[in-house]
Amino acid sequence: MSIKNEIKFAVYAIKKNIESSAELRTSFLMNVLGMMINNVAFILLWMFFAKSAGPIGGWTPMDIIGMQGFLAISYGIVLSAGNGIRKVAEYTASGALDRFMLSPKNLLTRIATSSMNVSAIGDLFFGIVCMTIYSIAIHVSLIQVFLIFALLIISMVSFFSIIIIIYSTSFFFIDANNVTTGIYELYFTPALFHGGAFQGIMRFVFTFVVPTLLIASIPVEILKNISLDKLLMIFILTIVWLLVSIFIFNKAIRRYESSNLMTFGN
Amino acid sequence: MIKSNYMNKDSIIVSNLTKKFSFQVKNANSNWLKNIFFPGKKEIVAVNNISFSVRAGERIAFIGPNGAGKSTTIKMLTGILFPTSGKINILGLDPTNDRKKLAYQIGTVFGQRSQLFPNLPLTDSLEFFGVMYDLSDDDIKKRIAELIKLFDLGSFIEQPVRKLSLGQRMRAEVAASLIHKPKIILLDEPTIGLDVVAKKSLRDLLLKINKEENTTIFLTSHDVGDVEFLCERTIVINHGEIIKDLPTEELSKTFVSEKYIDLIPEKIFTVFPDLPAGIRYSLKDKDKITVIVDVKIIDVQESLRQLLSTFKVEDIDVYNVDLETVIRNIYERN
Repeated sequence: MSIKNEIKFAVYAIKKNIESSAELRTSFLMNVLGMMINNVAFILLWMFFAKSAGPIGGWTPMDIIGMQGFLAISYGIVLSAGNGIRKVAEYTASGALDRFMLSPKNLLTRIATSSMNVSAIGDLFFGIVCMTIYSIAIHVSLIQVFLIFALLIISMVSFFSIIIIIYSTSFFFIDANNVTTGIYELYFTPALFHGGAFQGIMRFVFTFVVPTLLIASIPVEILKNISLDKLLMIFILTIVWLLVSIFIFNKAIRRYESSNLMTFGN
Repeated sequence: MIKSNYMNKDSIIVSNLTKKFSFQVKNANSNWLKNIFFPGKKEIVAVNNISFSVRAGERIAFIGPNGAGKSTTIKMLTGILFPTSGKINILGLDPTNDRKKLAYQIGTVFGQRSQLFPNLPLTDSLEFFGVMYDLSDDDIKKRIAELIKLFDLGSFIEQPVRKLSLGQRMRAEVAASLIHKPKIILLDEPTIGLDVVAKKSLRDLLLKINKEENTTIFLTSHDVGDVEFLCERTIVINHGEIIKDLPTEELSKTFVSEKYIDLIPEKIFTVFPDLPAGIRYSLKDKDKITVIVDVKIIDVQESLRQLLSTFKVEDIDVYNVDLETVIRNIYERN
């Protein structure tokens, strides 16, 4: 009953966030369309690069589209549903976190669903288009269709876990906004790069230390090669990161000291 | 029967509660570089070993000057902050360990913070809180209808929250905090920034929910009107320590050894002679004299006898100082 109520509330909160953002119609549409155009421009650049440079590390221009598909869907779903996590630094500095502490719901869910990133909806639509194109281009089999869904879940969970860890650092020092943004960029930016560029030590670092490649590059390789052992490996890694993120968040929240700045809104 | 049992119980029991905050400070003896890497550390005791209890259905004012420890206490009572030491028991629950369970039993209003969706109509925010507290769809509709009636929200219920006046918004905030019929409502400066009409309206409503739903009210405020109108008991805190806990009406009697006497002349006052020891002028006007009597030096009866032999008066009024002066007096004395 409790888990059912938690899920019901989380879904309801996301719905309200969308309604709230959509109330400001022009801004909402501009954000969504703007992000889709931005992504198209970005992917075209990579396509031209990959075409001119030829295959790098076995990656073709079409794989770049697949990578963008995983990346944009994962980013779109996580940040349109759970962008509140990225606001933790702001919430802790202003004391706005108080109202979430007063909620009878799971604190992490309550914070995550407190805000949506409108432009992430643009990413989501863009990601779906990319994934559809990629699926057609590689002639996906039935097992690959299942793989796509499994890999998307792994990608989203790993991305969400890492941003929980990054933004939990906000509880440890004041005015953490710039620091968390910096760490986030360090983690996320390599996910936008050509997957074939990560070889040797770089691949090890960005898989096990800073698990950026779990979002899109490794899923594309698993999908392409139907590599079930790699799938198991990233599944285990993702579970570990998820557990670590929940542990760190629960430890960090005990350091919250509130403050008395004026705040507004849910 | 259930209600009367509940009324006899303590809603809140606080024992030896302490909260310390530590923060980094600049060390004046070190250079700036050393200060970046090895700053000094300072600890402040925001709440220092306080104990009190609140009966179910009571209306408590928890007052004190800025930085006295009011908000810190209220945040510990609600589970937002973890105490450094001491125990809190609210309706049998420990806010530190049972924060989520406790949230179903209490409502909170922070005057400086809104919990409503700014872009959506008020009704959406009320519905949101109903879902958050696991109410069924029917119960949510029923409760919203009750709150609309109780708080007279009908005229602006469909308006986006950002377009409400401050007074309307505060009424809405209190209504939202009551959606789940909490047993206790904790209010931190609920009337801050409101005009006199909105303040009165909010106080009336709080009194109403206390009477009709037997909700315990725990309120911090700098507004003496809130304390005087709403609260039967006042706890005064300063420098993190409770300095007085008594019925609100006894505040002035206990803390002020002065009486005010207004003298209205038969015609007009023309001379203002020196007064006996223990009596001094507060106002010298041809139509009215106000004197302050220090009852530790001269009692009221003797001061009246002396004043009546000095002035020819048509009317006389003896009264205590207003609560604001009393509270200022308490803070200054502490």
